[in-house]
Amino acid sequence: MLKLSVADDANVQPLASLNDHRMSHPPPSPIYTLRGAGGPLNSLHFRCYGEDAPLLFSGSGKGCIHIWNLNTRRTNKVIEGHSGSSIIWVCTKRSKDTLISQGRDMQICLWDLGEGRCDLLDSVWTGSVGFCQCSMLETSPISSLLAFAGQQTEEIKIIELPSKIQICTLMPVAKVGMVMCINLFQPDSCPGPLLLAGYEEGSLLLWDVTQQSILSQVKAHPDPVMCLTFDPTRLRGISGSSEKNLSSWKLDEKNNLQLQGGVTLANPGVSQLCIREDGKLLASAGWDSRVRVFGWKKLRPLAVLQYHTDMVLSVAFSDHQDPRQRLMAAGSKDQRISLWSLYNES
Amino acid sequence: MESVSDSDSVRLEVSACLRCLSSSDSSRNITVLQTLLSYLDEASHGAAQRAQFSRSHYSRTLRVLITTIEADWVHRLTARQREELWDALFLRGPPEQALLVLLEAIGELSPSTSLDHVVTITEKFLQDGRLTNLLWSYCVGSAQSDSPQLRETLLGRLSALPDIMANKLHHNISPLFLPQQYYPLLASAMLTALQRTCQALRDNINCSLAFVSQTLGKLCLQGHGGLVLAAMAPRLSACTRSDMVWQRVCWKLFESIPQRSMECVLTALVLAVSGPESLGRIVGNLVLRNKKAEFVITHKLLLLQYKYETGVLRTVLGYLAADRDRRPLLIQVLRCICQAWANPSAVKHTPMEQQLYVSKALLLSVSLLKDQELQDLRSELLQCLLGGMQSHLDSSVLRIRCVGMVVGECLSSRMDNADTKLKFEYEQDEETRELLSLMTPSGWCEPEPVDGSESLQETKELAPNTCSVASQRRQTTPPLAPTDPDSDLDSDDELTPYDMTEDQEVSQTSPPRYLRDCLESLMSSEDAMRVELSLKAADPLVRRNAFAAREISVQMSKVLLHMEDKYNIQGFLILRHAAMVALAVTDCIPVTQYLTTEFYSLNYSLRQRLDMLEVLVAAAQELSLPTTDKKNSSIISALDVAELPPFQGHDPVHWRQVVEKRIQSKTRRISKGASQPATAKATPNRYAPVAGYFFFPLLKNYDKPEVTFDLLGSDHLVLGRLIHSLGLFMHLAVNAPVAAQMGSALLDFVWTVRYHTDQMVRRGVLFAVCSVFLSMPSQNLLLDLGDMLFETRTWLTDVAEGDPDADCRSLAVQSLVLLDKSLKKQLKDPQSPSLES
Repeated sequence: MLKLSVADDANVQPLASLNDHRMSHPPPSPIYTLRGAGGPLNSLHFRCYGEDAPLLFSGSGKGCIHIWNLNTRRTNKVIEGHSGSSIIWVCTKRSKDTLISQGRDMQICLWDLGEGRCDLLDSVWTGSVGFCQCSMLETSPISSLLAFAGQQTEEIKIIELPSKIQICTLMPVAKVGMVMCINLFQPDSCPGPLLLAGYEEGSLLLWDVTQQSILSQVKAHPDPVMCLTFDPTRLRGISGSSEKNLSSWKLDEKNNLQLQGGVTLANPGVSQLCIREDGKLLASAGWDSRVRVFGWKKLRPLAVLQYHTDMVLSVAFSDHQDPRQRLMAAGSKDQRISLWSLYNES
Repeated sequence: MESVSDSDSVRLEVSACLRCLSSSDSSRNITVLQTLLSYLDEASHGAAQRAQFSRSHYSRTLRVLITTIEADWVHRLTARQREELWDALFLRGPPEQALLVLLEAIGELSPSTSLDHVVTITEKFLQDGRLTNLLWSYCVGSAQSDSPQLRETLLGRLSALPDIMANKLHHNISPLFLPQQYYPLLASAMLTALQRTCQALRDNINCSLAFVSQTLGKLCLQGHGGLVLAAMAPRLSACTRSDMVWQRVCWKLFESIPQRSMECVLTALVLAVSGPESLGRIVGNLVLRNKKAEFVITHKLLLLQYKYETGVLRTVLGYLAADRDRRPLLIQVLRCICQAWANPSAVKHTPMEQQLYVSKALLLSVSLLKDQELQDLRSELLQCLLGGMQSHLDSSVLRIRCVGMVVGECLSSRMDNADTKLKFEYEQDEETRELLSLMTPSGWCEPEPVDGSESLQETKELAPNTCSVASQRRQTTPPLAPTDPDSDLDSDDELTPYDMTEDQEVSQTSPPRYLRDCLESLMSSEDAMRVELSLKAADPLVRRNAFAAREISVQMSKVLLHMEDKYNIQGFLILRHAAMVALAVTDCIPVTQYLTTEFYSLNYSLRQRLDMLEVLVAAAQELSLPTTDKKNSSIISALDVAELPPFQGHDPVHWRQVVEKRIQSKTRRISKGASQPATAKATPNRYAPVAGYFFFPLLKNYDKPEVTFDLLGSDHLVLGRLIHSLGLFMHLAVNAPVAAQMGSALLDFVWTVRYHTDQMVRRGVLFAVCSVFLSMPSQNLLLDLGDMLFETRTWLTDVAEGDPDADCRSLAVQSLVLLDKSLKKQLKDPQSPSLES
C-alpha cells in the first residue's frame, strides 16, 4: 500500500494561529530539581562566582544546611549546627569562604568553609523568637554589618562583624508590632547605612542607622509584612504579605517612602521576594505553591511556575558571572528545590 | 368639398406610386420614392395633404415597401440612395406606425439580408430618438390613429421589443435590443417627453400624459420596472427638487397610471428612489387620491410582503410621515402593524422573516411618531406591547423571543415610562443591533445628488444600498483605540510573558477520592467548596469505579437530578450533566428506567424534565460510539458533552485530534489488489441491546395530563424536545434488531402531533420521521408501515409546500428524499421479500 500525504500548509495554518491566539508559550518546566533536603526549605543562597564549582546553600526546617554542587547536582556537605532547630537564613560573605546561618535556636553561626573545612568560627545569640531573617551589609572586605531582630519583639540590633560590637538598637516608639523582615543597605546619597524594616502591623519603617532615627514610615499592608526586597540602584522596593497584594514603593530624594501601587496575585500569601541582580526580574515565592515571575520595571507578570506541591518558602537568583548561566532556585515545603532558567537570552 | 378632392388626389397619387413600386422599374421607382418622401416634408405639400398621407396612407406605403424588399430594383439602389430614400421613409414618418410595421416585418421575415436590413432600420429608429418622438406625439395628441386596440398593440410592442427581437435573432442580437440597454433608452425617452411636457405647460400648451403613464404601467407590469425606474427615479427626484411644474407633471404621471399596473409601478418606484423625501416629491399625495396606491403603500408593502430590505420600509414609512395630510395614514398603518405584531396566531403561523419585517416596520413607525401622537396612541401601544411580548416570549424559537425582547425594549423606552422601562438580557448579534438601530431616526437622511444628469449613474448604485447605510456608518466610525496605559511602556520591555491562564485560585479542600464520599457531600454538605469539588470529581469517579457506581447509580442520579445550583458553581450544568451521563452509561438499565419513569411523574420542573432528556440522549450517543481504550474515554465523554446543543461554546476537542482528522482527510491511499485492510476494529455496539430501555418507556403516558405537566397542552417545549430525543434514539439504533419496532412505534406516536402549532414540535416530528426513514431497514418499511407510508407521504408533501417555517419545509423535503430512496432500494432489490408476502 502506498501512502501519499498531502497535508498542504494552507489547511494546517488556522491551527497554528489558533495556538497563537491562546497566548504564547506554555510556562516552562524546571531544568532540574534537588531532592533529599529532608525538610521544608526556608532559605536558599547561591554562590556561583569564581573558579570553584557553583554552589547552592539551603537551610531546612530540620536544622540542616545543605551545600549543593550545581555541577554534580548532589550535596557536597551537610552541616547540622543549630541543634535541630529550623534554619531560617543562610548567607555567605563575598570575601572569604565564610557562611552565616541563622536558626530558630536564637543563634547566628559563622562557618569557615575554606579548603573543605566546615568549622564553626563564631556564634551570636540573638534572643529573637520570631522568624525575621537577618540582613548583612558588607562595608569593607574585612568587616560587615549584620542586622537582626532582638530579644524584644520590636527590637532590631545591628552589630559589626567580625568584632561583634553592637552598633545600635532600633526600637520604634509607635506601636507597630513584631519586626517581620529587615533589609540593610547603603545608599549613595547618605553617609551611613539605612535599614528598611517591615512590622507585624503592616507598616514599613526606614531607619537611619547612624542617627538611630526613623526617616519615613508607610502603611504598606493591612496584614503583617511577610517579606520585602529592595533594589538600591533604582531605590525601589516591594513587599509581600499574607494577602493577595504585593505593594511596591519608592524612596525619594528626601528619603521618604512613597507607595506606588503594586500587583494583585491570584492567591494570597507570599513567603519571599527576590530581585535578579540585573534588575530585570522579580520572583515571588507563593503560599499557593507557585513561583511568579514579574518584570521588575513595570511589575508586568511574566510567568507562573507550577512545580511544587506545597508552599514555596524561598526563592533566589544565582550570581553567575555569565548571564546565560543564571538560574533561579525555589525551595518549598515539599522538601524540594527546583531550578529554573528564565529570560537568560539577552 | 375641397378637402375631399384634396384627399382624393392624395389617395390617387399614393395608389399610383404603390402600384409602381410593385413593378420593378428601378429608375422610375427612385422618383416614386422621392414623391412619397415629399409627403413627409413640410416644404413640398400642404399641411392637410401631409396629414392625410400620414393618417391614411403611411402604414400602407411602408407595408408595400416591406413586400418589395426582395425586389431587384431595391437591390440595385446604391447604399446612399437606399439610406436617403428607402430608410428615410421609415424614419421620418409617424413613428408609431413605422415601429409597428417594422416589428411586424421582423416577425414575418425569415433570416436573410432583408431581415438584417429591417433590423438595421429598427436600430436606427431607436438610435435617432424616434421613441421620444413617438411618446411626445401622444403627449400633444398629434398621433392620428388612436383606437384603443392600436394603442394596446403599440404598448405591447413597445414594452416587449427586446423579447420580439431576441425571439427572432437569437444570439446575433445587437446590444441595443438587450433589456439592459433598451429599457434605459425607453426611460430616457420618457424623461425627454416629460421634459418637453413641462416646457409645453410653461408655454400654456395642453398635454396629455396618459400614454406615457400607460407605457410605464405596461413596462412595470411586465417586470421591467426595476430597469426603467432605476433610470428614471434619480432624474425625477432631482428635477422635482425645486421645479413645481416638474412636480405636477410627475404627480399627474403617476396618477394616470392604470389601476391594474399601479402596484407594480409603485413597488418598483419605492425600490428605486433613494429615500422618503424623493418619493414624496415624485408621487405627491397619491396615496390619498388613489385607493389602489393606498392599499399598496399602507398594506401590501408592509404587511403582506416581506422580501424587501429595511431601506424600503424606511422609504415607505418616511413617506407617510413626511406630510401633514398623509400622517393619519401613518397612524392607521401603525395600528395595523401593532395588531399584526401582537397577534399570537401570527407569531405561530407566519415565517420568521415576515415577523422580523413586521417588527422592523413597527419600530420604524414608532420612531417616526411625534410625542403628541405617541401620547394619543399610548394605550393602544401598551396593549400591543403587552400582548405581543407575551406571545413572543411564549415562542419556543429563540430568534422570535429575541426579536420580541428587542422590540419590547425599544417600544417601552420610546413610550418613556421613566422608571418602568423594560430591560431584557439577550445576546447582541447582527439582527438585534439592526433592530436597535432602527430607533435612531437621524441615521438615514443621506444627501441626494443635486445634479440630475450625473445622478443617473450615482443613484443607481445608491438605491439598493440604502438599507445598508446604517451598517456602513457603523463601520466607518473609527474603532476605539485600545487605551491601554501600559501599551507604550511595555513596548520597550523585551521580556515576553509565558502563558499564565493556569494561574487560577486554588481551593483549600481536596476532592473526594471515593464515590460514596462524593455522594455524601453532594447530598448533605453545606460547604460550597466541597460540593463543587465533589461535583467535579463525580464524572471521573463514576467512570473509574464502575463496580461501586452500580451500587448507588439510581440514588446518585436522584441526588443529581434534584440538585440545585446553590453555590453558583462555575459550569454547574455541564458538570452535573456529565456526572449523570456517566451514571447512565455505567449502569445503563436501572438509571434509564429511573429517568424514563421520572420523566412522566409529578412535581418536576420543566427544566428537570429537559435535563432528563438531555442526559438520556447523551448517554445513548456515548453508548452507540465504538468503545475505545481507556485512555481516550474521558476525552470522548468530553466530546459528547460538547456536541450537545445546550452546551455549545465549549470546545475541548484536542487539537491533536483535529490535526489527525485533517491529515486523514488529506491522505490519499492508493491500494493495489483487493487487500483492503480494515481500519476500524470491530467492537460491539453497546447501545443496540439497551435501545429499547431508552425508547419505549418514554412513549407511555404522554397523553395523560398531570396537574403539573401537560405535554399535549401548554408544555409543548418539552414535547418538542421529547420527540427530538426519540428521533435521536431511533437514529442511533440503526442496525439494531429493535429498530423496526421502534420505527413503527415512533411513526405512530408522532402522527397525532404532526400538525402541532408550535414549530419546534413540528421540527421535532419531522426530525423523528427523517430518522425513522434513515434507520429502519428498508424491507420493514414497506411491510410494517404499509398504508401508513402513503399517508405520511401525502402529509410530508403538504408540509414541504405549505409550512411557514423554512426548517420544517427543508426537513420535510429531506424526509421525502429519504423515503423515496429507501423505497426504491427495496423495490429494486430482487432478494427482498415481495409485497404480497
